[in-house]
Amino acid sequence: MGGKVTCTLGEVKNRADLIVYWGGNPAECHPRHFTKYTLTQKGKFVPNGRKDRTMILVDIRETPSAKAADLFLQVRPSKDFEVLTTLRAIIKGQRIHAETVAETGLTLEQLQDFAERLKKARFGVLFFGMGLSMTRGKHMNSAALLALAAELNAFTKFVAMPMRGHGNVTGGDVVMRWTTGYPFGVNLSRGYPRFNPGEFSTVDLLLRGDNDAALILGADPGATMPQPAIDHLARIPTIVLDPKVTHTSRLARVHITTAATGISAPGTVYRMDEIPLPLRPALKSPYPTDEDVVRRIYQAVAKKPAWLPAGKGRRNTEAN
Amino acid sequence: MELTITKNATCTFCGCVCDDIELHADGERIVETKRACILGEAWFKNHTAERLYPDALIDGKPATLDDAIEAAADYLYNAHLPLVYGLSNVTCEAQREAVALAELIGGVIDSHTSL
Repeated sequence: MGGKVTCTLGEVKNRADLIVYWGGNPAECHPRHFTKYTLTQKGKFVPNGRKDRTMILVDIRETPSAKAADLFLQVRPSKDFEVLTTLRAIIKGQRIHAETVAETGLTLEQLQDFAERLKKARFGVLFFGMGLSMTRGKHMNSAALLALAAELNAFTKFVAMPMRGHGNVTGGDVVMRWTTGYPFGVNLSRGYPRFNPGEFSTVDLLLRGDNDAALILGADPGATMPQPAIDHLARIPTIVLDPKVTHTSRLARVHITTAATGISAPGTVYRMDEIPLPLRPALKSPYPTDEDVVRRIYQAVAKKPAWLPAGKGRRNTEAN
Repeated sequence: MELTITKNATCTFCGCVCDDIELHADGERIVETKRACILGEAWFKNHTAERLYPDALIDGKPATLDDAIEAAADYLYNAHLPLVYGLSNVTCEAQREAVALAELIGGVIDSHTSL
């Protein structure tokens, strides 16, 4: 399983007549998603806006987003994968037993109705949040949902899109993809990129104590990571770039204050549908930008002897 | 003081990256955020152009930017497997520099995506 059938939010606005949110709470976490992109906007092929669209919310509890939904399906916690695979089986016309469905918290009739609605949509979209991708099953849940979206294209046009948080986390994936070939967790210690989530992902590295220095920028792991990972950041020389003195700054050896992205630092950020947008800062910061500081650290390191044997240290991702 | 108005400003708080915000600023802080949601308004008003923090800290003590950059370069250069992590609330231009630095120091680069 793999691959993502997707589109831009502009296409959702102009075409989508069935909108499913799965394991996400846009009403509180992405407040303008409904009004700017998905539900209430009038689009070229959905001229009556909200009246032309159906919204289904799938979650383990009734969040404030349920008020906006036409149909709310409450799944038993950590049974999303079972619901997704049952939907895929129904859509393929395979036999389903009501008793195996019962453990998901939904009935077979509910799932059959859901599958019918998915198949009958003119243009359907599955938005999925961290309630799906960060709970039991993790990336296998995302893979099952992406497979469902792909398979629905046998009946109608269907796409899937993750509800990304944190400003430019999408841009991080995109930049790492075009510079190293992989979206995150890239190990460059052999002079070429290697990708292996679970081995080269940050929490795993820190829990094993693999790193002996860390540069943290645009994040505050000291406030968000598991305590043993934070403990390791405090043990090793940690360097933090941030507009504020953060939790991580307090356990770091070096903190450098930088301009706030989008407020006093210019540049480009990616929206969750991988559309790059320019920033228009309203203030002038007394501090340098993250971009400047990282470049200066690069230049300071570049003055030292290369760590790879001479002639073998050609840098593929070099930005300067 | 007269307010400067920035039209079609881009909010980087969440993944929606709304780019239709109108910001009114008095040079030091943003005082009005038209069309921003409550999260966006809090985000814009939470950062000012004031000099609230030292340029840099080394071992918790105020330091110059130049010294901090040298110290950072020494730590990263001397490490066997340095980690470059975060990249969420920085620009693509800064992310690109960070990838180049990670390659130069032979480290691992990772973002919030892996959490």
